[in-house]
Amino acid sequence: MINAISGSFRDPSSRVYAVDAPDKKGRAIYRGVDSETFENFQKLQAEPFYKQLENENRVVKTTLCAPADPVAKEILEAGWAGVMRHEPVSLVSYSYEWSFAMLRRAALLHLRILTDALEAGWTVKDSTPYNIQFEGTAPVFIDIPSFVPWQEGEPWVAYRQFCCCFLTPLMMRSHLGINHLPLLRSYLDGIPPVEAANYFRGFSRFKRGVASHIMLPARVERRIEARERDAVPAQDRSQRKVSRKYVLALVESVTRLVKSLSVNIEHTDWSEYDKTHTYDDDEFQAKKGFVQEFVQEKKPSCLMDIGCNTGTFSKIAAEHADLVIAADGDHDAVQKLFMHESTHSAHNNILPLVLDLSNVSPNQGWAGKERSSFDSRANPDAILVLALVHHIRISANIPMALFLDWLRSFNCDIVIEFVDRNDEMVVKLLQNKTEQYLDYSRESFERELQERFKVRASKELKGGKRVIYHTEPL
Amino acid sequence: MNNRKKLTLLVIVASIVHPSVALAYVDPGSGSVIVTTILGFFAAIAYTFRKYFYKLKRKMFGGKSDEEDSRALDD
Repeated sequence: MINAISGSFRDPSSRVYAVDAPDKKGRAIYRGVDSETFENFQKLQAEPFYKQLENENRVVKTTLCAPADPVAKEILEAGWAGVMRHEPVSLVSYSYEWSFAMLRRAALLHLRILTDALEAGWTVKDSTPYNIQFEGTAPVFIDIPSFVPWQEGEPWVAYRQFCCCFLTPLMMRSHLGINHLPLLRSYLDGIPPVEAANYFRGFSRFKRGVASHIMLPARVERRIEARERDAVPAQDRSQRKVSRKYVLALVESVTRLVKSLSVNIEHTDWSEYDKTHTYDDDEFQAKKGFVQEFVQEKKPSCLMDIGCNTGTFSKIAAEHADLVIAADGDHDAVQKLFMHESTHSAHNNILPLVLDLSNVSPNQGWAGKERSSFDSRANPDAILVLALVHHIRISANIPMALFLDWLRSFNCDIVIEFVDRNDEMVVKLLQNKTEQYLDYSRESFERELQERFKVRASKELKGGKRVIYHTEPL
Repeated sequence: MNNRKKLTLLVIVASIVHPSVALAYVDPGSGSVIVTTILGFFAAIAYTFRKYFYKLKRKMFGGKSDEEDSRALDD
């Protein structure tokens, strides 16, 4: 069945369609394009810079479909001049789920592609992170119709969009330590300079890039808004010309700026998990063995490790799964995993995402359909939920039944660990809490679990303070 | 309250109630061309200066090309 993807309507030159694969495992991705985009792509395919980007897997592999292709035929009937087929990405993720390092790497990929394109007489008309997806830790540019021939005198048309979506959130995190993810989740088109300028006060305005890329644009926008408000006609600025040398120099200067931005990984409860967990060596090996046995037997195509910390168990799973979605609410733990996987990964099949598990990314954007919820994008056939239940029940105050219902909705095998009340970490959680969560007990957890899942195996850890279960849906 | 005080109060109130993001008629991106022209001009000067500086530095001390360095995806 052919479905137009609900988030692909902004650019009128094309529309993306997803077609379910016959085995229901994954989807094929097609794109209907107008005649101009069709002709552009034919020229683009012959460009050495594009071929190199494709060979290096920096842009998604794309081919033109023969008009006789049954899917292409159906898309052509919708009025498009041509049809492209893209290699699908493993999982669509959004910039509000990426750690600082991921956003920075996506920004650098965009700048690299733009530089190569400009030098070859092309440009990239959009500059949004939704055009970039991650395969493991490698960013891939997916919006091929964004490549258009550069017109003489044309400025960097997507400069503002680049700043709003990439540069500003990176500077806010790096210079001010502000968590950029909730802002990007609210501002789907990026953080406008006028808004960003409110965060930079006093000496922070003198930090690298702030005056040029936040304060100046904010000032210009405020002045234009003040001069051209009410009945005053808007000035035509579309005829202004900029030399390509200026454009390339600006892109190069922004590349240097992005490279100079960094954040330190703080010692949080999760970012040092490998050294600070409360198991002794034998118990930790036993837990690893239980997980290892599960993934070895199951060989999942997509495993989701929720509450992954720095990915100790995601790495074990990655040896046997095609894709591991490693999700945690702790930015620094996820960033640490991303940095580790960038340099040490053998398979490049772990996608680390920052997700507050008590409030995962919802459906949002136009009509609530433009950006889809995390639940609807992820289609795991196995889930690890290790030492998370106590945080969901006690810290986030979500009843166990609701959490287990959510897990059951994925309809797949789950390895889940229960941490009992006498475990020192639960004792710490309950310390200074008025509400004592009396329903939080092993008996109650097992009852709720067995209403939804069949327990295939279980093992006590830490002398019975923790229990790990392998379950399958009833 | 004299006029000066009234004006100061007005500015303070305006700065508090003035919406930072508004759906106005003027496209906020229309100022982008002004910004990119200004920044592009200075970036081009810096780029030219850096190019000659690194060329000289390379001749004197050796090392990798600055252009290669700026194109790499990672540091």
